[in-house]
Amino acid sequence: MGHILDNLKAFWQFTGFANFEWGYLIMIIIGCAFIFMAIKYEWEPMLLVPIGFGILIGNIPLFAGLNVGVYEEGSVLNILYQGVQRGFYPPLIFLGIGAMTDFSSLIANPKLLLIGAAAQFGIFGAYAISLALGFDAAQAGAIGIIGGADGPTAIFLSSRLAPTLMGAIAVSAYSYMALVPVIQPPIMRLLTTKKERLIRMKPPRPVSPTEKKLFPIIGFLLTAFIVPSGIPLLGMLFFGNLLKESGVTKRLANTASGPLVDIVTILIGVTVGASTQASQFLRWESVKIFIIGALSFVIATFAGVLFVKFFNLFLKEGNKINPLIGNAGVSAVPDAARVSNNVGLEYDPKNYLLMHAMGPNVAGVIGSAVAAGMLLGFLG
Amino acid sequence: MKHLKLFLAIAGLVLCFTAGAQSQDAMRLNEYLVVNTDDFQDDFGQQNAWIELFNSSYGTVDIAGCFLSDDPANLKKYAIPGGDLMTKIKPRQHVLFWADNQPFRGTFHVSFDLANAKEIIFTKGDGKTIIDRIPVRHDLGENVTFGRIEDGIGSTDGSGEGWAVQTRTSPSTNNALIDKAAKPDRMKEIDPYGWVLALTAMSVVFLALILLYFIFKAIGNANIRAGKKRSAAAAGTDVKESAYGEIPGEVYAAIATAMHLYQQDDENHDEESFVVTLHHTDRTYSPWSSKIYTLRQTPQVNKRR
Repeated sequence: MGHILDNLKAFWQFTGFANFEWGYLIMIIIGCAFIFMAIKYEWEPMLLVPIGFGILIGNIPLFAGLNVGVYEEGSVLNILYQGVQRGFYPPLIFLGIGAMTDFSSLIANPKLLLIGAAAQFGIFGAYAISLALGFDAAQAGAIGIIGGADGPTAIFLSSRLAPTLMGAIAVSAYSYMALVPVIQPPIMRLLTTKKERLIRMKPPRPVSPTEKKLFPIIGFLLTAFIVPSGIPLLGMLFFGNLLKESGVTKRLANTASGPLVDIVTILIGVTVGASTQASQFLRWESVKIFIIGALSFVIATFAGVLFVKFFNLFLKEGNKINPLIGNAGVSAVPDAARVSNNVGLEYDPKNYLLMHAMGPNVAGVIGSAVAAGMLLGFLG
Repeated sequence: MKHLKLFLAIAGLVLCFTAGAQSQDAMRLNEYLVVNTDDFQDDFGQQNAWIELFNSSYGTVDIAGCFLSDDPANLKKYAIPGGDLMTKIKPRQHVLFWADNQPFRGTFHVSFDLANAKEIIFTKGDGKTIIDRIPVRHDLGENVTFGRIEDGIGSTDGSGEGWAVQTRTSPSTNNALIDKAAKPDRMKEIDPYGWVLALTAMSVVFLALILLYFIFKAIGNANIRAGKKRSAAAAGTDVKESAYGEIPGEVYAAIATAMHLYQQDDENHDEESFVVTLHHTDRTYSPWSSKIYTLRQTPQVNKRR
């Protein structure tokens, strides 16, 4: 009987109840909140469900040495986490993004590229704020990339510049991407007049298949020559797009934009979520990262909308751009473009801005990858 | 098309420069020691004269096939052998050659010594192009080296500019002590508020996307012009373009008319019952087991006329 009781005591020591700390409970509540937001409001469910559940997985109180935790070398979760730590999941996701993105609106109206560049001010604004709040330059660079509104890029850069902050940065980036429909509209309304919101843009011209095929090749060569450190992301993004547009690799494009990106999204979501163990995550630094992340989205939206207003000063009547698409310069594809469209429809039910907003939206993907390359070059 | 050609030419040029930067041309003679009595030992435990080379590029350089010599009349005195992975010098790294006149001891033991040498010459794989040269000084004394003040910086023509007697020997390592902070720390020192990085990086982001803008503007315009020509050729006359420049107004008019007609059901479309009916059809004959479809065609003999 005594022997059985001893074993039961030992078993109790292994349970989550015996190792419980309040931090774990807070993280479990956060994970459940993510899952709730994804299911109830359908805010980025593809990301928030895996991340939310990953948070639950990563925050079961563990008896150290069981070799199951994400930070325990050789554990299954740790092996899956290598894709995040070594940065090979994000380029694979970019491959899928490239294979599912239609750059037609950008090719048809290439001046929209500049809006995608302007919105990257969010990254460098956040970098400056991070430095002011006492982060070192590498950490500030990693935090700044949240402003690019691009989860894979944020993971890629933080895995290189500030691995210890990666969990907080990734969760912050994905959370704010999900909250784009909440964060951006008030700023868009604040910065625009009613007249500006009613601007109707010309329909984009048809784009020839040759232009679509040339875009990924020229786009890659140009951006990669300027910022070679962005090659993993830019290379995969444009390669994926070439698979789609070449017309002869349909199966590869389908795999890249379908099963492959789904698999990697599941793995990246769950492992990033699992990496937010209370002991690693619940720190004052994480709170600061969340505050800076919110500010970076605000700055990016400000910069995008104000840039369009500034740009309009140089455009003839009839060629003007509706500043409501300025917010789409952040690379949260296609949520930011959808926000532009929805806000536009509030003021003119027949003014569909979606296709126009997709231009700066995909330009934002390129812009944030170039910006990440710059940060890596300066700080890596 | 003209713009595209220009871009391709520029891209090619950049490629050539980049490729060149990581070739054997980037190797530099970096430091040498003539009299070694109490300095670095080789793998055989011997102290001999040595020559240090430095890869000044940011790419790996393979020096196999290059030559080291102490004689301008014989540039090919010692050929660095191929087939040795150690001859691939990593970016910004050093490699040490022992000037002991004992080449049988391995790749990094050359076939001359520095006791009477007047010059050290590093030559490219073609055996003619001198990459770097430096006169040998015999007034240095024991265990004192002559080297570049900063790794890889200075003359390559033998003038000795950027070279100096070293205060300490530094075989296979930096000549100047690097006591600088890590890259991010330096960045924070230089740019404590982040404005410099922000402006620089944003300029680069804009530059990249502005270049893309110009290229695709040019390609788009070329495409529109080609489209106009094709339309004109097909119609046999100049088709008046719409304000957008690519789809003729007539096309929009035709589409609008067609849609209008389509919406007027009684004019263009008969009434549908909207009832889908499946009729069962009996077929008594099925060819699935018919021999005629499973046999090869009987060969036919062509008769000669």
